[in-house]
This record gives sequence, C-alpha cells and structure tokens, in this order.
Amino acid sequence: MIRHLAGRVGQALVACFGVLTIVFFVMRLSGDPTLLLVPEGATAEQIAALRHELGFDRPLLVQYAAYLGDLARLDLGESLVQRAPVAGIVAERIPYTVALAAGALLVALGLGIPAGIAMAVWRGSIIERALAAFVLAGQSLPTFWSGILMILFFGVTLGWLPTSGADGLSSLVMPSVALGALTMSTFARMTRISVLDELSRDYVAAARARGLSRMAAVGRHVLRNAAIPVVTIAALEVGNLLAGAVIVETVFAWPGIGQLAIQSIAARDFLIVQSVVLFVSIVYIAMNLLADLAYAGIDPRIRLER
Amino acid sequence: MRRLALTLPLLAPLFALSPAHAQPKDNLVVDLPGDVATMDPHLQWDTDSYSVYRNIFDNLVTRDTAGKIVPQVATAWRYTNDTTIVFDLRSDIVFHDGSKLTPDDVVFSIARIINPSFKSPQLSQFDQIASAEVTGPAQVTLRTKTPYPALMAQLVKLSIVPRAYVERVGDAKFNQEVIGSGPFRLRAWQRGVQSVLDANDTHWHGKPGFRSVTFRAVPDIPTRLADLRTGRADITRGLTPDDAEAIKSEKSLQLLPVPTERIAYMFVNAQAGPTKDKRVRQAIAMAVDRDLIISALQQGYAKPTNVVLTPANFGYLSDLPGWPHDPAKARALLKEAGAEGATIQFLTSPAYDRRLNEAVQQMLGEVGLKVEIVMLDQPTYLRRRQGTPEEAGALSQGRWSCACQDADGVIFPLFRSGSIWSKYNNPEFDAAVDAARVVLDETKRLTHYRRAFEILREDVPGIGLFQDYQIYLARKELKWTPTANEAFFVSEMKWQP
Repeated sequence: MIRHLAGRVGQALVACFGVLTIVFFVMRLSGDPTLLLVPEGATAEQIAALRHELGFDRPLLVQYAAYLGDLARLDLGESLVQRAPVAGIVAERIPYTVALAAGALLVALGLGIPAGIAMAVWRGSIIERALAAFVLAGQSLPTFWSGILMILFFGVTLGWLPTSGADGLSSLVMPSVALGALTMSTFARMTRISVLDELSRDYVAAARARGLSRMAAVGRHVLRNAAIPVVTIAALEVGNLLAGAVIVETVFAWPGIGQLAIQSIAARDFLIVQSVVLFVSIVYIAMNLLADLAYAGIDPRIRLER
Repeated sequence: MRRLALTLPLLAPLFALSPAHAQPKDNLVVDLPGDVATMDPHLQWDTDSYSVYRNIFDNLVTRDTAGKIVPQVATAWRYTNDTTIVFDLRSDIVFHDGSKLTPDDVVFSIARIINPSFKSPQLSQFDQIASAEVTGPAQVTLRTKTPYPALMAQLVKLSIVPRAYVERVGDAKFNQEVIGSGPFRLRAWQRGVQSVLDANDTHWHGKPGFRSVTFRAVPDIPTRLADLRTGRADITRGLTPDDAEAIKSEKSLQLLPVPTERIAYMFVNAQAGPTKDKRVRQAIAMAVDRDLIISALQQGYAKPTNVVLTPANFGYLSDLPGWPHDPAKARALLKEAGAEGATIQFLTSPAYDRRLNEAVQQMLGEVGLKVEIVMLDQPTYLRRRQGTPEEAGALSQGRWSCACQDADGVIFPLFRSGSIWSKYNNPEFDAAVDAARVVLDETKRLTHYRRAFEILREDVPGIGLFQDYQIYLARKELKWTPTANEAFFVSEMKWQP
C-alpha cells in the first residue's frame, strides 16, 4: 500500500512539473508578452525598455530557471497590470470557485444519483425514458445558453433569483445548476450502469429469494457495491468543477478564478493567466491522485494487482 | 366574492411594483464589463478603471460635455513661452482625509507619473513634460521638452493625488485605499466583485446627486441587460449595435449612444506585396463600401469618416475629400496595376470583429482581389503586424483611440515612418506630422494636418471606416449626457421625474 501511494504521489509530482514547464514555454513561445502590455501608441524604444525591465529579453532557459526559483519560494510575482502580488489576487478568488464547485457538486449528487438509481430500478419504464431525457438535456445544453435562459426565466420573468453577482446563497443557485448539469448527467449514467450491473448478480437474486423487496435489496446491498465507481468519478468530477467554471462564472458574473482568467486575458495580465492555469492544473492532478487513492482504499483488489 | 373584490386592489401594487419601476434610489448601481484594474489613477487607464477612479479624483483640467478643455483644479493657464506654461490653482479643494490640496500636490502628481521607476503605463502620454515646480501660493509652472501642443489634452487625464498620504502609506497601499478630492470617496473595493463609493458632500463643486454609487463587474452582455431589466443595475455600457437594436423596445430603459474619439480603420501595407503599388491601395479604398458596413454591421451606430480620424479629435477637417465607393473604377485600377486576381493576406485575431473581416473580403473579392483571412492569436498578430513589412500582411483592421482627442495621437503612431505600426514611408508626410507636433498655434497645426491628410488620401496606407460609438443603456429616469471621451462622471447624473 505504501509503495502504491508513493508511486502515485511521485507520478503526480512529475505531472505537476510537466505542467508548469509546458505553461511556461507555451506562454513564451506563442509571442512576446511585452507587446500585450504596452499601450497601443508605444514606440519601439519604449517596448524594448519594458521588455528589458521585465526580463523578457533574457535567454529562455535563464528565464525558466528564474521562474522555477520563484516558484520554489512560492513567489508568483507581481501582477503587471494590477500592481499587486499575484498570489493574493488568485487566492481572493478561490473561495468563490470552491463555493460554486460545492454548489454544483450538491446539485450533481442530489439529482444525479437518485435519477441513476431510478433509471436502473425502473428500467424500460416510462420513468426511465423521462429521466433519460432529463439527463440528456443536462449533458447537451451548453452552459452559456442554459445560463442565459435561466437568467431570463428565473431572474427577469419570475424575479425569483438575482440575475448576477455574488450576494449570498440565492446568487449561488443558478450558477450551481448550470455548472452542475453536466456532472449530474455523468453521475446519473454511472449510477444507472453500476446499479444495473449489481442488480443482475446472484446475491441480489438470493436476497430477493429470502423475501426482501426489490427496494430493500437495492437499499441494503446493491448501493454499497455500486458506490465504488461512483466515488471515483466524484473525485474526478470535483477537478472538472473547479477547473471548468470559466463560462458559468462569466455568464453569472461570479467572481471566481474562471472569471479572473478571462479578465486577465482581456487585460493582458500575463502573470495572472499563467498562475491560474497552473492552479487549475495542480487541482486537477491532485484530484486525480485522490481518486486513485480513494479507489485503492475502497477496493483492495486494486492494491493487490500492483 | 365581495371580500375578494376588496382585496384585489390592495394586492395590485405588489404585482405592479417590479424592481424596474421602483422609486429612484439614493444608490446608483453601474454594471461595468470589467473590474477596476488599479484604483491608483497614475497606473492603469482602461475604461473600467477610469470610470470608477475618475469620480474619486479631481484632475488638473477636464473636458465639458462639448469636449472643450475647461478648468478643474486649475482655474486658468497661460504660456509664457513655447515650452513654459503657468497654471493658477483653486485654493478651496480639500482631500477626503481633510487635508488641503496644494500646488505641492500638483507638482508631486506630475513628478510621480513621469518618474520612470514608477513604471506607469501612462508614461508615454506625459513624458514630454520636463519639469513642474511651485511658483506661487496657488501657482504651478510646467516646462515641456519641446513646444508640445497636445499637453493640455494629456493633462485632462492627470489626477491630483495627496502627496502626504501617498508618501506615508506607500504606492501599494495607496492603490488599495485611495484618497482623492473628487465628488466621491472610496468606501470599499472588493477586487473582482465591486467598488462602492460614497458621496463627498463637501466637494467644492457641490453635493453629488447620489448618496453612493456601486460599480459591479459583469462581463457578459446578456447578463448586464438582464440586470438592467430587473432593476439590479441602473446603467451599463459596452452594448453592441445588435444588443442595442434588440433592447430598443424595452419601455423602462433608454439607450444613450455617443460617438467617441475611437476610429475604426483598415491598415493597408504600402511597403510589401501587391499593395506596395499605390493603385492597388487606391482600388481597395474604392472597393470598400463604408455605408453598407455602417448600416448592416453597425446598425447605424457609427458615423462615416473620410480620413483615419474622428470629428472628436483636433486635426479633423470635415471638408477633406475621401475615396468614393466605386467598384468599377477599383476594378479598372487593379487591372491597370496588373493585380487582378492577386491574393492578399488579411491579418486578424479574435479581438477584432469577424464580420467586418468577412465583409471586406467579399467587397474586395467583387473587384477581383482574393483576400485570405489569416486568424492569429493576439501576441502573434501583434508581433507580425508590428514586425517587418513582409510579415505584416496586406490588410488588417483596428479601432484606435489615443484618449487625447488629437490627430497627433492617431496618425503619428499609425503612419509616421519608424513607428512600429507604420508600413509606409513618405518624407513629406513625416515632415507634416513632425511639424504639427511642435507648434502651438492651432491654425498652423491645422495647415500641417491638412497637408498630412491630403498625402494620406493619395497614398492610402490606411482607410478610415467609421467613428465608433459607445452605447450606454440606462433606466429611463436617469438624466445624463455621455461624452466622446467616455468619461463617466456620476456627479453629472441625476434622476429626472
């Protein structure tokens, strides 16, 4: 188990290092960031002076070494546009992104898992078909469109929910639903397959033969076994939710890191963009690692296979 | 039944009172497309930041609604020679911390913004100032490196900051907790979320019409429209012409479109490829149908211009002829130049209106030029566009604003040889724009610009398309006149009955 754990953590660290290297080189090789930072009317001399000031005229490998050195000291630099430490600017947005991800996860679990169970238990019935349509809708509606529709209906027409911003829990409802819809569909499909798989096993037939009702058999035995793949998926989905909120945060003016990324791209705030990409990648890798470890923890066969 | 009949009228107001029709309130809510980048007025001057902090500070001079430069902190100014200008200052201005605004604060503000180690992005707008000194109890004298006619236009953007406070707390903290002398003071700035300002009732210009104002960052246009429709916000900006058309019928709202100093133009490479031939460039100018672009793409929210400059800028001459839309003549010119069927590259990036690219592509296709649209990411686009003539492509589009309302900030960086944007070299043009930037006499400057624009018309290193609009959307009850420089003075807004 320890060896498995160490191996996985090692792989994750290598992945993190790979990500920060790729982020660094891609952002430099795609063009000169200095050009994005100067005012339009700047002269060639002013651009050269700023390039030198920012150190972008040094050899790429020297810049890379300096960047790794700064990272090792957990120094993400100072935003060239906002004139404040990047770490602070990114950190201010994280609680909003976490709150949104939590809300979306709640929506996804709360709707997805019951829907999946119901689809498996009442397989072939009108209930399954109705739920399948619901799940498909959650999966296929693009958030920039469903978000606007929700704003128009619940915000403008009915006036039940605030149309934008982050003023308390009521502001969190629509963005959570919009962001959680796709994850909800994933949970519903996974749960359905998993429960169907377990329902066909002998122990279910045996339990039914002992006189257990179908619902009791599902509740007492099936769900426990069916949970393993769902838990794994959940950890992966948390990574998705934390990383994939750019559109939802923009549509609902939710001040998380997705919106920060968009604002920083528009404002040409190069170091913030780089740090946001890094943050999202590391969250994703960490969630993958957690999923791996959780899977091994729940199912001993995984450990033994190694 | 009778009871119900009695109850209904009592309930009616509940249904009628949607937020959009509520009584005008003391707090004005503004939806901006983005957050404030810096509160420090000597750092960023993007439209969102400027919209907020300009309400917190007084500037040396300002512009009235007609665009004329008028006193603010300075009451009067006079040139003692071509490079020396004396400003008389108000002595009744008080900063939000109670300290008096003195000539020393004005000198400090100028010295701060032109100090290279402060690295202000606005440095290039003020670096013609050589020095500033206190020359009387309410007087400051400025010296410029050369005679500099755009000085007053640049000083419109110079906010006066309190020296003692800035020096005490340092630049970083000042940026977070700014103190100015303007009609509003900063109450709270939640980065990325909103900024709240309170009225400064002791402002020398009088009490503002609102007790407070909240600026929110709402990037998505449909969301901003929803905020306006539900009364969550009172005013917003940055609507596209299509949005404006769609929301026009909303009875509780009003559109406030205003022509700005931003010029939509096309760059034409005069130094490489088929467009090196002047006839090809002239043919392009005649093939592009400005009126169609304005009516079909801009829905009328634009004004045609004959030159690469708007009427809101000094140096604009309304009697200068442009190229007529004449596809037949364009075709003949291309034939004469032997460029029929030639392929030219139109460099662009996602930052530019894709529909305009395609419209131009089609218009030029109709006269016999094959336009290949090359979509690049913004850094690559800028690198190529600012690079050598060979890599800059034949065409590109842009919207240029110098925030100074002067031809010097537009055609000098765009077409003067040696500038990074220019792919054009005509010593006669260079001489005209060089002369216009070092002479103070306005009549003489206009003569130089007339010459410059005549040369540009003949050589076509660029084509003026239209004067761009800023489209605001506000509650019907808000009374306000927007201006060409997109200043957002809340103290000039009020509710009307």
